[in-house]
Amino acid sequence: MTASNEYRFQVNLSGMIQILSNHLYSSPKVFLRELMQNATDAITARTEAEPGYQGEVRVELTGTGEQLTMMVEDNGIGLTEADIHEFLAMIGQSSKRGQQALLDGETSFIGRFGIGLLSCFMVSHEIVMLTQSTKGGPSMEWRGKPDGTYTIRQLDTQLSPGTKVYLRCTPDAAHYFEADYVKEALFYYGALLPYPVTLHHDGMQHVVNSETPIWLMDPALARSRRAEVLAFGERLLGEKFQDFIPLTTASGRTGGIAFVLPHAVNLNAKRSHRVYLKRMLISEKAENILPEWAFFVKCLIWTDELQPTASREHFYENEKLEEVRSELGDALRKGLADMAESQTERLQKLIRLHALSMKALAVQDQAFYAMIHRWLPFESTRGHRELGELIDEGETLYFTSSVDEYRQIHHVASAQSMLVINGGYIYDSELMATLPMAVHNVRTERLEPDQVSMSFTDVPPAERNQYYDALRLADSAMQRFRCRAEVKGFKPSDLPVLFTLSQESSTLRALEKASEESTELFSSVLGSLSSGIGSAGYSTLYLNVNNPIIQRVLTSPDDQMTPIAIEMLYVNALMMGHYAMSKQELEVLNKGIVRFIDWGLRANTDRKGDA
Amino acid sequence: MKTEMDFEELMDEAYGLPNGPAKLGMLEEAARVADVNGMEEEAYEARSEIVETATFCGYPMKALIAFSWQLGKFDQQPEEYDEETLMWSYKWILGKLSSFPEVSRDKIMELLEDFGQRFKSFGYSERSYWYYRFRIYMDLGELEEAGSSYAKFRTMDRDFMSDCEACEQDEMMRYFILTGDDEKVLEMAKPILKGRMSCAEIPHLTLSEILMPLYRLGRTAEADKHQQKGYRMIKGQNDFVRSFAEQMDYLARTNPAKGIDVLEESLVFAMDNEDPFAKMLFYARTAPLLRRWADESPEYRLRLPASFPYEGDPGDLRKLADYFAGYAQAAADKYDQRNGNRHVSSLLG
Repeated sequence: MTASNEYRFQVNLSGMIQILSNHLYSSPKVFLRELMQNATDAITARTEAEPGYQGEVRVELTGTGEQLTMMVEDNGIGLTEADIHEFLAMIGQSSKRGQQALLDGETSFIGRFGIGLLSCFMVSHEIVMLTQSTKGGPSMEWRGKPDGTYTIRQLDTQLSPGTKVYLRCTPDAAHYFEADYVKEALFYYGALLPYPVTLHHDGMQHVVNSETPIWLMDPALARSRRAEVLAFGERLLGEKFQDFIPLTTASGRTGGIAFVLPHAVNLNAKRSHRVYLKRMLISEKAENILPEWAFFVKCLIWTDELQPTASREHFYENEKLEEVRSELGDALRKGLADMAESQTERLQKLIRLHALSMKALAVQDQAFYAMIHRWLPFESTRGHRELGELIDEGETLYFTSSVDEYRQIHHVASAQSMLVINGGYIYDSELMATLPMAVHNVRTERLEPDQVSMSFTDVPPAERNQYYDALRLADSAMQRFRCRAEVKGFKPSDLPVLFTLSQESSTLRALEKASEESTELFSSVLGSLSSGIGSAGYSTLYLNVNNPIIQRVLTSPDDQMTPIAIEMLYVNALMMGHYAMSKQELEVLNKGIVRFIDWGLRANTDRKGDA
Repeated sequence: MKTEMDFEELMDEAYGLPNGPAKLGMLEEAARVADVNGMEEEAYEARSEIVETATFCGYPMKALIAFSWQLGKFDQQPEEYDEETLMWSYKWILGKLSSFPEVSRDKIMELLEDFGQRFKSFGYSERSYWYYRFRIYMDLGELEEAGSSYAKFRTMDRDFMSDCEACEQDEMMRYFILTGDDEKVLEMAKPILKGRMSCAEIPHLTLSEILMPLYRLGRTAEADKHQQKGYRMIKGQNDFVRSFAEQMDYLARTNPAKGIDVLEESLVFAMDNEDPFAKMLFYARTAPLLRRWADESPEYRLRLPASFPYEGDPGDLRKLADYFAGYAQAAADKYDQRNGNRHVSSLLG
């Protein structure tokens, strides 16, 4: 093979940069992370060959304006001439095979090195790399331009092993080269590195990661260094936390600190945990590293057992990740369990802030539910209460499955002093349904709105017989609304009637209402669906025998008056229950009002006539 | 008191929730508040959300009801509302319509034509019409008609109202499942399995659909992998009852113990599902799984959801299997009667 053959591939660098910036990386600023990553990979490779070797990363900013230059230096393994050709070949292959090959990830150290280097073209029009391999050979210089031209030459002098990369910044990337920015970014990416990262500029020198916290090796140690951990979390994650739970997996290869968010979080909020792979920041938006329910914490995680994607910004969703996720979840759960045992006040505080998260976990984990159930808040006919207080009432806990059902019955249920819990909020009805399994000696029961009548007093048969005629008239008046009338005694006695409906009749009401508003075609489709529901779709109008008006309606049946009175009571019950009324029902209301005014006035005139 | 939240509060609360019954409940409450207070625009807005949420968490009837209301309002005042959102919802409605056996074949066809007319009047590509025609004929078991619609829709231009490529690919694959061409099914599945096409529901659906074709071709090692991945993606979600059924169909033959896990974890979603077709498939696949499990582990007592309407002994798996099979057959008969063929009961095998 001749020398010219070796260079036969055409590297379309500008095309590659396009791919990198459009498809691989989230922002040009990642060039610095890529350089850091290359440097730490090189140091890791050297440490493997020479245990105990002390690595170092130096970053230097020089010049101003068009001469502004950044240099990143490591004392790692370095590259030989053959290594340089290898990564160029790799890029050549990737660019020929298209972006998919690149996105699928070339994971060899050298291949990654080249791709990382190319990311610098997002901020620089020239990259110069000087390198000396620990394997010996001459020191090398590689100079690349985004138009695809590059030179490789051997240097006359011998450098010490390691690699230096020089970037001359483009005008629109100048802000990525400002000392303050670079300092923060280096901390951000390299805060956990076990060797110094230093920044040199204007004759000053900063060690960016001054001290590696000792709890990185053993997260359990964090417990005794509360203030330090909280301060570290604040600096790195930018939030003032008050509490945290240390995490670790069985293998010890993944650890972390779960900082409890100091504010309530929306269920749909992005979970963004900060994850370091081999001590280098890999992602600030890792969503998949903790279980779904862990949305009450923001975590700092370090790991060396997961495989990054090609962009080195996320992890592959594979079995290993699932294992780590579930182990981290277990650690978090365990932290909460410990609190439940020995620091209940701390846990209570946490639950008050993050009730939703706790409920989400309780739904999935009965043992956890059993542990924390007493402090979970619920809305009930006895007010907003913690579950423990409600259980202590010693009654059956009835719950509705929707806010709508709760709204329909809670006034009446309160009046009968029934304990009903609103199960319409997320997780609440599931929690109520599973409570008896998690906690002994507690009874819960799903309450349908039409079941609230079970707490009503029955009317004795003899008395009911008295109302026979009135009820028959009422039933036939209610027929067209698919409703039947029933007599019961209930509180409060100034409530004449109560309208309740089962799930089927609720669906039917919705079908009928939509059908009134819809197109002819859709109305007929809805009509077909209604016919499938059948007799289960009857709602009930309870007439309160304790109410004086109802007494009069029941004891003086009248072919003309009773149906009208019942119809009016029906629409009145709908209004009291805040139901949306159909056109037919509104018509009853309108006609009824006019008719009663008419009667009222007529009675008035008649009386005047008498006088 | 929280029970008297106003419209905005309810909508805010709903927006903060993931898709599911709780969110749907909030939206319905918001629609009711808007109705009672005569807030027509707000009522329309809430129903838009209801249609979307209900479609993607297993409540096709609620979606249909809310959409019907919207369409009526839209026709009265077309200038008031956005037609693109509404027409996009129409596709969801149409896609589920044949799941309701009470809706006659004629009505389904009338609705399809109404849909086509409307799309034409807004200047959208006819591709959507032919694509839904293809899907509906598949549902009705008229495979020849489905085949010709299939040939036709593929020649037409995509536009912004077309379903995404991943969904289309999955439906095309389904066609070959129905015609029994397993090799072709896998060929169609390839771009999805390779990850080149995906969306919110793909590959979730695909991974369960290809299990039986792979099983029939003797490629169970691959199938096992897809089964695990697929189940992980759909576990605990109301919207994937059909996929649970497909999982059980496969697992009953290869790993009934795991099948029982799937059954116990997802029965609660099937029993309350508003999509009677999905529920039928789930019940149909449950029966042979239980029978197979009764052979292997006769002592087993199935964990039934607390509110499951079965009076018998959950320890008698064969009786329980009969219950599920009976339910599925009765449902299938309704479809057969509507469709005028034996397509649906033939799916139960």
